[in-house]
Amino acid sequence: MTPPVARTGRMRLPGDPGSTLTLSRGSGRLVRVVSTVLIAGWFLLPLAPLMVWAFANQWSFPALLPTQWGFEGLGSAIGQGALPALGASLTLSLVVAAIATPIGAMAARALTFGAVPWPRTVSVALLAPIALPPFAAVMGLNVLILRASIPPAAGLVLVLVVMAIPYTTFTMRVAYAAHDIRYEEEARILGASRWSVLWRVQLPLVAPALARAAFLAFLVGWSDYVVTVVVGGGEIVTLPLVTASLAAGIGNDAAVAILSLSAIVPPLALLALAGLAGRRPDRASSSAAPSIGERR
Amino acid sequence: MSADVTLHAVSKTFGTARAPALTGVSLQVSAGSCTAILGPSGSGKSTILRVIAGLDEVSGGLVLIDGADVAGVAAEKRGVGMVFQRPLLFPHLSVLDNVAFSQRVGGASRTESRRHARHFLDLVQLGDFGARSVQALSGGQEQRVAIARALAAAPGVLLLDEPFSALDPALREDMHELLDDIRQAVSPTIILVTHDRDEAAAVADQIAVLQGGDLLQHDTVDRLYNRPDSLRVSRLMGGLNEVAGVVEAGVHVSPIGRVPLSAGTPDGPGVLVIRHEAIEVSPCTEAEAPRSGVIGHVSRVRRYGPRRMVSVTFGDGVVLQAALPPGEAVRDGCRVALTLPPAAVCVVPLSAAPR
Amino acid sequence: MSLPLRSRRSTLLVLPALVLAVFVVAGGVGAATLQSLGLMPLIGPVRLSVDAYTGQAGALLGALGLSLAIAAASTVIAALVGVGTALLIVGGRWCGRIVAVTSAATVTIPHLIGAATVGLLLADSGVLARMFGVPPELWPSLVGGPWWVAVVLEYAWKESAFIGLVVAGTLITRVARFDEAAALLGAGRWKRFRFVMLPLALPALAISSAIVFVYTLGSYEVAWLLGRTYPEPLAVMALRLFNSASLTARPEAAAAAVLTTAVSFLVVGFCFWAVRKSAVWR
Repeated sequence: MTPPVARTGRMRLPGDPGSTLTLSRGSGRLVRVVSTVLIAGWFLLPLAPLMVWAFANQWSFPALLPTQWGFEGLGSAIGQGALPALGASLTLSLVVAAIATPIGAMAARALTFGAVPWPRTVSVALLAPIALPPFAAVMGLNVLILRASIPPAAGLVLVLVVMAIPYTTFTMRVAYAAHDIRYEEEARILGASRWSVLWRVQLPLVAPALARAAFLAFLVGWSDYVVTVVVGGGEIVTLPLVTASLAAGIGNDAAVAILSLSAIVPPLALLALAGLAGRRPDRASSSAAPSIGERR
Repeated sequence: MSADVTLHAVSKTFGTARAPALTGVSLQVSAGSCTAILGPSGSGKSTILRVIAGLDEVSGGLVLIDGADVAGVAAEKRGVGMVFQRPLLFPHLSVLDNVAFSQRVGGASRTESRRHARHFLDLVQLGDFGARSVQALSGGQEQRVAIARALAAAPGVLLLDEPFSALDPALREDMHELLDDIRQAVSPTIILVTHDRDEAAAVADQIAVLQGGDLLQHDTVDRLYNRPDSLRVSRLMGGLNEVAGVVEAGVHVSPIGRVPLSAGTPDGPGVLVIRHEAIEVSPCTEAEAPRSGVIGHVSRVRRYGPRRMVSVTFGDGVVLQAALPPGEAVRDGCRVALTLPPAAVCVVPLSAAPR
Repeated sequence: MSLPLRSRRSTLLVLPALVLAVFVVAGGVGAATLQSLGLMPLIGPVRLSVDAYTGQAGALLGALGLSLAIAAASTVIAALVGVGTALLIVGGRWCGRIVAVTSAATVTIPHLIGAATVGLLLADSGVLARMFGVPPELWPSLVGGPWWVAVVLEYAWKESAFIGLVVAGTLITRVARFDEAAALLGAGRWKRFRFVMLPLALPALAISSAIVFVYTLGSYEVAWLLGRTYPEPLAVMALRLFNSASLTARPEAAAAAVLTTAVSFLVVGFCFWAVRKSAVWR
């Protein structure tokens, strides 16, 4: 059996340049282009109003474009508490990510390589929060949280972490399934301590997956509305809460657009950063052959 | 139904690569024959198959299948079947349905395609395995099913990309026999890629030796072993003996002595190559070397499978390796006579290029 | 209980996540059930009763029916668009890249924000109405209308990106290698999709669709923001009762929560069982 080879280049997609299998000829090409336009349009269309409304001071019906441009929406949003809400959202999401990612990774590691008793049951238990409607969980838990005198912030973080656990655990399970334990065994044989193996071998190898899991957990905290409203009890005001109260009202369209943009930009920026960081210099390009087809 | 394959000055460079994968490869495989493409890793062997199959487009040159240029023809329409190193059996289909896949896709009904498939499953001696799931098969069985699946599509050309390299040696022998059975039953044109010389010699009519994207020699097995075109080919075929010298009037003159050659060898500088299996070794007591032989001293005897390999030194530090049959009593320091039959001796040009 | 060392270490690793998950899930569901049965009232005596269920049975079933309809419609649209998205992504080249980027961006948008911007788009005096120059009286009531169009479209829009990325991931990692083998057996692109890619992607599609269905069933903010006040889906009804001042409201809210949870778990359980039974699950 040949020894494991670390994957240095990126995976070869069927549609990569040079591949003939997804080459569309004639009508196939037209179908592909049309469906791309339709689907990209489907994803981008709902975002279009934001770009215009964000800088509209006045835009009365039926004008096609705002009658008056300006930054009143921004001022209104800040006046309604957008900046503290932004800070609260960031803090909450980062805390949720910081807790849910390591415990999900540990659980995934134990389930993949360890000897957990009743592994099937444990897996189901860790995936169960996906099927649990958030409002149901908090309505039940709120009483328990109040009776146990747990501060609202802690209760909020607890529920959001549990909602994020299925995503982090699943992402890390996939990563560990593809992870070759023999790297670590080799390191142990070479004399590294357990801590060294963890820090120098395991973590660097699963770092991309950890980043993905952390991002998903961050999104869980960042997007939440119901749990913050019920458990937070009005004390904790995050970006979705401010946006909701303005959107439910009338005439706040510009402020709502500004708040929406500020809720969209940070995760997108993180995603873009991750995308750029993940693009390592393609070492495969220096050798002649692609990863599928030519045996190295 | 078999087709002949012609490659005409085919070259291929992958988009971001520094060096081309193939440079000006011209190859002719006649219908119904079996050709092995032999070469080390990275020599471009798999690229040739992928270019014939249509999975990659050529950067230059022509690929002709049955005389027709197939540039721009999609892989599914070329009438070419391929078995990869990993069997890639569809996990959601049973063994029989896997073999029946080409028929199903061609529009036949489920029963019709399964009936057609049973014949090919029998051909690979897995007739009883039809109902099993593909996860229940061993490595060798999986490759048999993959071969049956490719054959069921009735391709004119069957391409095999190192199909047995992941199997145990004993299993590989069974597979070589299977290939023989298949050639008798169906006789497609077979092109087999391998890095194993013995496999190539066992299975193929002709071998094409490839290194670094260049086709070095395309010949029968015997000629490749005994009449290599160049030093590179000799080394790739596992030749161990190279002696530099000059040819004068049909005799190769070098530090080891005078070795008569077969007729027609041109005069001039050249390297003598001979297979270690072809040299006959005998202890020598006379002062003069025998006809078509040389005298030297044994410097080392080491094990070589069931036989032994003897290293014989001559003047100027030249060493010849000879494979001894079991039982010969030859020891270090012994004075021996090596017989180099002219039929097994070959002179190749001195190549400046390093290995 | 003496576990071998490896088991003990694994148990320790799993414990934090497990304890938290069990506490929230079992505690939340358990507490909600107890509340709905009157066994954990906010104030007043503990008294077992099913009034919370029977008293508003009609309303509960009506809300359930509406929630199920919205969830079903959203899931079907999301699955169809998601599969198309996945195919485009796997097809690569420029089209694949554009679709991959736009769908990845969509996934990161919170549902509440999505609801706000869809509202801006589809409302009577929204951007779309202005683009087509249709006055408010003539514009179909998509937001807050009888057909819950804006709600379904918002869910379908966001979740189609989710399904698209999940299915594309499965196709790329597990299915792509069979593409060449299938092509060399004579299968053109449509046949490869029908006989190889779709069957192999079906488990991932089924599971992600089940997740979408269950999420939409239990989601609050979109239905609240873009829907109408009557009839109400289960989540909206539950929270309205939860915040209401009347004494009987809490158990009734809990009853709605328990009903939603039960249906959710049933759907997810059924889906996993069905996928397990199919031959493709590994």
